[in-house]
Amino acid sequence: MDEGSPSNGGQVFGASWRPKGFSFGPYLVQKDAPSLRVVVRKPLVVRLTKDIVETYQICNPLFKYSEELNPKRYLTSPSVGVLNDGYDNVNSDLILAVNLVLVNAETQRRYIVKDLLGHGTFGQVAKCWDAEMNSFVAVKIIKNQPAYYQQALVEVSILTTLNKKYDREDKHHIVRIYEYFVCQRHLCICFELLDSNLYELIKINHFRGLSLSIVQLFSKQILRGLSLLKDAGIIHCDLKPENILLCTSVKPAEIKIIDFGSACTEDRTVYSYIQSRYYRSPEVLLGYQYTTAIDMWSFGCIVAELFLGLPLFPGASEFDLLRRMIRILGAQPPDYVLKEAKNTSKFFKCIGSVHNIENGEVSIGGRSAYQALTEIEYEARELKKPLIGKEYFHHKHLEEIVTNYPYRKNLSMEDISKESQIRLALVDFLKGLVEFDPAKRWSPFQASRHPFVTGEPFTCPYQPPPETPRVPVAQNFKVDHHPGAGHWFAAGLSPNISGRSKFSMHNSPHFQVVPYGYGNSYGSVGSYGSYNDGTGLGSSYGSYGDGGNTFAYFSPVGPSGMNLHAQSGVSVRGSSPDARKMFIQYSQGNGLGVSPSAGMFVPLPLGTSPSQFTPPSSYGQVSSGSPGHYGPTSPARSSCHGSPLGKMTAATHYNRRKNWGYSGNPQSQESPSSQHWQGQFIDGASSGQAEWNPQVLGSASLHLPSNPSATSSKQQRGGSGIAASYSAMPNMPSSLTRGPAIAEAAHDKPETSLSVPDPGDWDPNYSDEQLLQEDGSDESNITTEFSKAMHLSSADSSVGVGRFNRTSSASSNIPIQRQNGPIQAFSHIEVGSPPASHEPQAGHSRFMSKPSHLMPHISQNSPSRLGQPPLQRYNLMRTTAPQGSEWNQFKIQPPPSGFNSGGPRSPGNSSFNNGMPWGRRANHPVSNIPPASRGRKDYGRIV
Amino acid sequence: MENSSQESHLRSENSVTHESPYPLYAMAVCGQRIAIGSFIEDYTNRVDVVSFEPESLSIKTHPSLSFDHPYPPTKLMFDPNSSSRKSSSNRHLLASSGDFLRLWDVGDSSIEPVAVLNNSKSSEFCAPLTSFDWNEIEPKRIGTCSIDTTCTIWDIEKGVVETQLIAHDKEVYDICWGEARVFASVSADGSVRIFDLRDKEHSTIIYESPQPDTPLLRLAWNKQDLRYMATILMDSNKVVILDIRSPTLPVAELERHRACVNAIAWAPQSRRHICSVGDDSQAFIWELPLPPVAGPNGIDPMSMYSAGSEINQLQWSPAQPDWLAIAFSNKMQLLKV
Repeated sequence: MDEGSPSNGGQVFGASWRPKGFSFGPYLVQKDAPSLRVVVRKPLVVRLTKDIVETYQICNPLFKYSEELNPKRYLTSPSVGVLNDGYDNVNSDLILAVNLVLVNAETQRRYIVKDLLGHGTFGQVAKCWDAEMNSFVAVKIIKNQPAYYQQALVEVSILTTLNKKYDREDKHHIVRIYEYFVCQRHLCICFELLDSNLYELIKINHFRGLSLSIVQLFSKQILRGLSLLKDAGIIHCDLKPENILLCTSVKPAEIKIIDFGSACTEDRTVYSYIQSRYYRSPEVLLGYQYTTAIDMWSFGCIVAELFLGLPLFPGASEFDLLRRMIRILGAQPPDYVLKEAKNTSKFFKCIGSVHNIENGEVSIGGRSAYQALTEIEYEARELKKPLIGKEYFHHKHLEEIVTNYPYRKNLSMEDISKESQIRLALVDFLKGLVEFDPAKRWSPFQASRHPFVTGEPFTCPYQPPPETPRVPVAQNFKVDHHPGAGHWFAAGLSPNISGRSKFSMHNSPHFQVVPYGYGNSYGSVGSYGSYNDGTGLGSSYGSYGDGGNTFAYFSPVGPSGMNLHAQSGVSVRGSSPDARKMFIQYSQGNGLGVSPSAGMFVPLPLGTSPSQFTPPSSYGQVSSGSPGHYGPTSPARSSCHGSPLGKMTAATHYNRRKNWGYSGNPQSQESPSSQHWQGQFIDGASSGQAEWNPQVLGSASLHLPSNPSATSSKQQRGGSGIAASYSAMPNMPSSLTRGPAIAEAAHDKPETSLSVPDPGDWDPNYSDEQLLQEDGSDESNITTEFSKAMHLSSADSSVGVGRFNRTSSASSNIPIQRQNGPIQAFSHIEVGSPPASHEPQAGHSRFMSKPSHLMPHISQNSPSRLGQPPLQRYNLMRTTAPQGSEWNQFKIQPPPSGFNSGGPRSPGNSSFNNGMPWGRRANHPVSNIPPASRGRKDYGRIV
Repeated sequence: MENSSQESHLRSENSVTHESPYPLYAMAVCGQRIAIGSFIEDYTNRVDVVSFEPESLSIKTHPSLSFDHPYPPTKLMFDPNSSSRKSSSNRHLLASSGDFLRLWDVGDSSIEPVAVLNNSKSSEFCAPLTSFDWNEIEPKRIGTCSIDTTCTIWDIEKGVVETQLIAHDKEVYDICWGEARVFASVSADGSVRIFDLRDKEHSTIIYESPQPDTPLLRLAWNKQDLRYMATILMDSNKVVILDIRSPTLPVAELERHRACVNAIAWAPQSRRHICSVGDDSQAFIWELPLPPVAGPNGIDPMSMYSAGSEINQLQWSPAQPDWLAIAFSNKMQLLKV
């Protein structure tokens, strides 16, 4: 204080003022004094802070304070409650505010919401305080929509099995799931709280690669996870840096694989459009049958990205992706794949004779019967220019890219020569992973023996030991006898069964299976019928209508979940018995591969979902389906086959039916939803994925222009990718209709990419900061930045314009729907569901509104999570068919294709899009960073 | 007990004691004026303005300089402009917090209410203010904090709310200005956060109590060295010293009190000294090492004073830097340091 008192005897602060000891004496330790005092009264400071309400009430009994009136800090946006009795916003997201308590009604366990870690199409992830465990957890709060609910159950069942059956010791770097329950009609899944993801790690390193020792460390850990998945017969289907998270405060750095929302069992590879684009394997891209090997491809891409700091194959489109693969790897997919893959003609032209092909594969170098299309050829075929992304690497080939990557500064010659050796090992390692031929691609076991991983000196190209042949459990047919449901042939339902071990003659494994499975399931069909009819269904799954499969699957594990569900009565639409019926119906459809329509599937290219092939008319059948249709012979079945909706939840079905069935003419429907479906189906029939791509491209291109900074890799990813993925979604209205939505995405993007440097700006001399050195020295830094980044990314959740349009149109639809009259199944759904959310119309609009959820998402997405058009996911729902209820069997039990019914885009993919780590570190010391960097968006301005 | 703490009105060269008819809590020093607020478990409480005469070492009461206050005031504070002046004859603006923020005009012989600043939307319910702080650089600005989780910044010249922020996830217990537009607050959520009015979208968490949701009751920002602040935890004998440049980890924890700490105050004339008082009836003056890093055995206070009972309040005013004011029971005591 400048007025520092003159009376002070001239003492000025700064000069060493010291108390003079007038009234104070020297400090004496009072050893004998009791250290604990009996507190008679609370200190006044407590009575006027912590206990002020009580104090004031003593002073004045009329004093009233209501915590309810406190301004709330909402974490969910929009925070206006319009659905689910005001608990949900327009997106069916539970409106979260700080200190909201999520209660597991069965165990009374309470989770206090503290922060939002991320959100996506599936719902939200909140950081919650678990008072009982005295720790933070990550709680995924699924949207109050059946599709997402179902989808989330897949993750629950797969993860539970992985955790409990395969990895009890938690040594395989797979995220732990703690429990799940239904709260306010939302499925809530509790996971261990983790930290930032690897994309963020790279990002805070300014997109410079991580040190080789870290790459090696992470590679080893990811491989442990992948080995486990392989053993369990699980395909993650969305492996990417964003889905690999650092564990909190563990040194040396430890990571875990998260997000099993897109995962499937190896015998249930029902979706053909999976994996985020940059990490998409050639077989998936080409529409060929796939196995756990696709995760190894993604793994290779991740390893390369960790080292390079940028994605290895940042394809702006599938064409671009394939082009990059071919160029960088100097090879192309083997002819046997090209011959069978359903999308081959989109990217390749046949230049050789088919006979040559039959005689064995010929790869690379002109002897192949296939030649990749040039851009011009592609454009001629597709009538659209392929979107081509920016090139980040000066060198074309993998080996050059890796070996010429700038070394860190200040390395001694010796270190450089050491590292150059390791880089050679890395190149060899990568070559075994990003191998075009899925059959030659290394397994996790093989890869884990590579010198790059083991640290042994690398001397010559690695020859992997032969993979131990395993008899996939899934091959065993499992007959599950469930009291309520009769016999279900889980395996029989698996679409991929035969296709898995050999290359099928049919392109589509799904179809192949059809006759197969059906035969089996047929027998059980009868039981289904009975199942349906039996309203009471003592069966545990009974309550989950659409979840028949899912539940069954799961029920053993978490009876509580189910029960709760039932109790709440609310549950996602599935809760009504009737709904069940509906489902069953569908599944039957599936089961009955026999249906006439099945025939048409055979010739279909693999990967395309059956639904795509179903003529609209079949929908009509479905819709018209009367209860009688539930019977095995019902015509509805055939429709089911075809129905893309298979995957959709009941609500969806409903909508669909409306659109198709009732109106008979999808196109004529003005409802937005019909629009997308329409699009979906229509394209589906002929070109499947291809159809979507154009959209992607289109949107991407829109996007790019708006993005001045498009140069940065990040942007690329975020921007175009995002737009692409979204637009690709069948469900997403925005892709179909709106420019606005897209524009918005583009708009948001800049924000995301704020801090992303253009790769061109790299300082080759930059010395890698050893972000994660085993000693963790820089960890705090990282953390800080992370949180910063997170904040940025979490910043907005804007609603897409498109959404609104939709919604409104949706409402306009309502009358029409009503006229149509509720389908039986549907009406069931209605029963017991809250009027608002479960009403048919409501459901309708909900779907429509989906796009909007996506939007915010999109904008915040980080690059890689883009393009994943889960188109087909929808379609396959019906494959789901009743599956065994056995828990733990999920290997066998087809992960109900129905699981994925969820969203337009696989929830999994979207889950962490925002670039938000699961766990944000709240408590970590952040040194060296100015406080400002820890900014948080924790307060809202009220006035 | 030491001599200085024995009886009220006991004079010594080094301390003066004022005994009030009621228990005391809030206290403010302005020049030679001292406002003291009662803690009575009744709606009607009392604020008295007394004057301290260092020359005679006496405290004079002025029956006319006294007013009723609804509820026990949680804090009293004189206008920082006037408190820097040393005259007791000027008019002073006094602010008090409780159910609302109130301004009082303290004249030579009377005290008039000036304003009741109420931002509540409900007439039926009230969210009490746990504390407030008057911005020294911008004296028209007062920041209040409330159990409704918000901090409210008032422009008292216009009598309007400049802004209100949901500052914390739980009740806010104390607020402290650092600069004209920068303040910090502590809360039942266990965090110390710094806010900058120029960027209302973000705050910076400087510290979080090790056990989540252990309330932080008081906050003191070192005005001589804004890098440092101190806070106290509920039911804790620790004074936590924070360096805002290294958030989260306290630079030192002063733990020599034998019961919970109730109040803290930085020395107005030294960046290294801080005083703390507690339920152990002790007042400690600590001299922090520079930088204030504690050794393996922690830091001992450099001096101590024992009062007659639990010390509830502490003021160390720039206007009277040689005198510490403490309140315990129904006594207010000035201690020469």
